[in-house]
Amino acid sequence: MFGYIVRRLMSAALVVVLTSMIVFLLFFKGPSNPAQPLCDLNGKCTQEKLALLTEQLGLNDSVVHQYGIWAGGIFHSREIDFGATYTCDAPCLGISYRSRGQVTDELFEKFPATISIAVGGASIYLVLGVLLGTIAARRRGTWVDRGLVGFSVFVSAVPYYVIALLVWIYVSLQWKLIQDTSYHPLTSDPVHWFTGLSLPWLVIGLTSSTAYARYSRGQMIETMGEDYVRTAVAKGVSQRGVVVRHALRAAIVPIVTIFGLDFAFLLTGTVFTEQIFGIDGIGRWGINALRSPTDFPVVSATVLVAAVIIVIANLIVDLLYAVIDPRVRLA
Amino acid sequence: MVGQQTALAHDDAVEDTATPGKEIAGKSPTQIAFARLRKDKVAVVCGIVLVFLIVVAVCAPLITRAFHIYWDISDPNAPNVSEVVDFDGFPSVGPPFHPFTWSHPLGVAPKVGYDNLAYLVYGLRTSLLVAFSATIISTFVGVVLGLMAGFSRGWLDRVISFVTDLFLAFPYLLGMLALAPIIVSRFTRDLDKLARAQLITLISILVIFGWMGLARLIRGQVLSLREREFILAAEVIGVPTRQILFKELLPNLVAPIVVSISLGLPGFVAAEAGLSFLGLGLTGTPSLGKMVSDATPYYADYGLYLWLPVGAITLLTLSLNLLGDSVRDAFDPRTRR
Repeated sequence: MFGYIVRRLMSAALVVVLTSMIVFLLFFKGPSNPAQPLCDLNGKCTQEKLALLTEQLGLNDSVVHQYGIWAGGIFHSREIDFGATYTCDAPCLGISYRSRGQVTDELFEKFPATISIAVGGASIYLVLGVLLGTIAARRRGTWVDRGLVGFSVFVSAVPYYVIALLVWIYVSLQWKLIQDTSYHPLTSDPVHWFTGLSLPWLVIGLTSSTAYARYSRGQMIETMGEDYVRTAVAKGVSQRGVVVRHALRAAIVPIVTIFGLDFAFLLTGTVFTEQIFGIDGIGRWGINALRSPTDFPVVSATVLVAAVIIVIANLIVDLLYAVIDPRVRLA
Repeated sequence: MVGQQTALAHDDAVEDTATPGKEIAGKSPTQIAFARLRKDKVAVVCGIVLVFLIVVAVCAPLITRAFHIYWDISDPNAPNVSEVVDFDGFPSVGPPFHPFTWSHPLGVAPKVGYDNLAYLVYGLRTSLLVAFSATIISTFVGVVLGLMAGFSRGWLDRVISFVTDLFLAFPYLLGMLALAPIIVSRFTRDLDKLARAQLITLISILVIFGWMGLARLIRGQVLSLREREFILAAEVIGVPTRQILFKELLPNLVAPIVVSISLGLPGFVAAEAGLSFLGLGLTGTPSLGKMVSDATPYYADYGLYLWLPVGAITLLTLSLNLLGDSVRDAFDPRTRR
């Protein structure tokens, strides 16, 4: 077990380092000149100005040197000089070209909104999905089952953003059922936090629950056919006890695996949700940074953070697997 | 589903034995799957809808010429914007505000004044073009890498598997969004070539983030297949590796490849429209996603404008997805829906 954890941690660290290299190469070597958007931002961009900014940003140095400085900023503060000199505290991911603020600070400022959306939406779809899946599996073959499966096939076939957009337009704007969709920090205004995010939560929850319902239905049907479930029924365990304590506990293992990864992807930017409902989170921040002139420090930070979250989620899921499923033996 | 399966098995059996005088013909798994697919009502309906949409997309230039409509208002033959759009930017001809005319069967877009039908059919064309190219290329890449990884074992397998995992760990949506402007700005400076560059960029991005699933699947299949007797026998009698890969292994991988193609297509359609919806995909080419984002502000006054692209995307992804599900069931009778 210990050896496995160590190996798994090392490979995760390797993936993080490689990803940071890819991200760096993408955003600081990919564009024809990363200083161009910065130069475009303040007034007319002359050749001399561009050359000066290129020099100041260190873009004339070797790639390895540049990567060293960029990655070093994550561990200690550094000074960044373009036009004016900015101090960037560790962990430093750069200075935003547009707002001229520290990217890390802005990241921490935007993250709560995304976390709130992800946590709320994910809890709805996990609970609802497993619940519906279990019901469908118990009533397999009846109209309840067929209706649920048909509905879930239909909902998951339509792109998520189409559903979200239509819900926003009709529920929020047209019929004015839930008008307020915006983010208020939980700590300062819990009531507004809840009401503002309820519609995005419902949309994420309902659309994603269908996949979980189908999946947990399949798992439940499989475990309900196992011998130990028949034994439990035979010795007189109540219906509920059989379903919840015996079948569901075994069926939920693979569901948790998928949930871990899904949740990580949700955390890395609920791009469409934030864009459609107008919530200022990581996804929207990233999108806005991409509009030209591109804010490279912000874009690279969002991609890097998102990749790290996914790697960590992978790690947690792998380790959790051994804890919740006693059949898994790690060597 | 179990009942259906036995019914299917029964049907197959009847077909085989009902005509004793006829020569007994072997059926390949693909033929059996297609026979199953023909009996699936959902698959047939979706297939018909898809054929219709593909015909519309392929014939887009003919349709626009027949109606004399234009998606690009800068076209020299196109009507002047002021002729179709009034002072406030609202359409002055065509439904739903004005009586139906054949010159603008689905109305015109507010402000910009292009014809909705023309834009729609060209948008459909783009969607299908992008989705089909991305599917074909990513399938090719996935199959080749999967075959190489599964067959070589050794270091090549480890490298390919690691790269696959690395790409799977990359946040694909953000990655796609971030890559698009960079590739476009790198390869084009003049605006004439922008539309084409964007199209190629979009397809390459979809491929970059779309090959991993199939590569993994194929690798797994090859790992188990290569221990089978027929591969071992081929190796023993000295069949060249390339022939083993393409003549012995590949035919056994048809089912997973077909299933992955049919499930991948709707994903690519949705991704293309989604990126354009966010304003980061295509700008110079008509796209259903862009039409949705253009039409969003007019949801209350001009619902038709919004519902056209929304309906087209929904119809396209829905029929592709349902057909994909049916294809999967047809090729793999063990799956339960």
